[in-house]
Amino acid sequence: MIKHLVFIIDKPLHGNVKAQEFLDTILMAAAFDQRVDVVLVGDGVFAMLDNQQPEKLDMKNILPVFGTLSLYGINGVTVEEEALKERGLVISQLHEVSNVMPREKVKQTMSAAHHIFSF
Amino acid sequence: MSLKVKFAIQVNASPYQYQASDSAWHFVMSALSSGHEVYRVFFYNDGIYNAFRDARPPGDERHIVERWTTLNAVHDIDLVVCVSSAQRRGLLDASVAEKVGGYQHALADGFRIAGLGLWMEGVIESDRHIIFGA
Repeated sequence: MIKHLVFIIDKPLHGNVKAQEFLDTILMAAAFDQRVDVVLVGDGVFAMLDNQQPEKLDMKNILPVFGTLSLYGINGVTVEEEALKERGLVISQLHEVSNVMPREKVKQTMSAAHHIFSF
Repeated sequence: MSLKVKFAIQVNASPYQYQASDSAWHFVMSALSSGHEVYRVFFYNDGIYNAFRDARPPGDERHIVERWTTLNAVHDIDLVVCVSSAQRRGLLDASVAEKVGGYQHALADGFRIAGLGLWMEGVIESDRHIIFGA
């Protein structure tokens, strides 16, 4: 049985190692051939902002890894429409984000999932 | 009629500083005594500090590491420590420690060090997963 796993990102990526370890979980889910959705909500929209320079924090830039998600059969990253608007951002400022989803639809996606992950 | 649920548990916080590992342990004990199944406990992020053999809390305090060791000994619950989280924080499997010249006896009894795949397998095999500690 293939399960539907939803990964919620609600905070920026860099500054500690947690996001990196979360990303590892996403990749592992994909490697197990599960149905995987990655959704940015709230301040999670800042996670995928282009032109981040985590090297200044001595952090590895993990943004490029999101670009490889499609190799694992994950159809891009989704962003919550309201979260984007509330922060005055547009989708073209985000890296590797291909889908916009209204908050109501995000809720539905979450309630239909077998498992939900956040960090 | 009661429904039997199979759980996968993840612990993400170090013991003593946060309540997460206490809560996880209490949850596992309650689940077992209610007839549910715990497929695996996976220690990730700072959760790996639950597996340090040399923890020596004061005698009048709960011994969190020993609790896990006993859980494994009595209920045969699989206790898996994530290898990359562990190595990043200085907890090495004996064989790895031997190779790199590290301390070989760090891991407490009842735990094993393995990859993240075991967490994902646990999630897929279980009805519910619960993550303790942000």
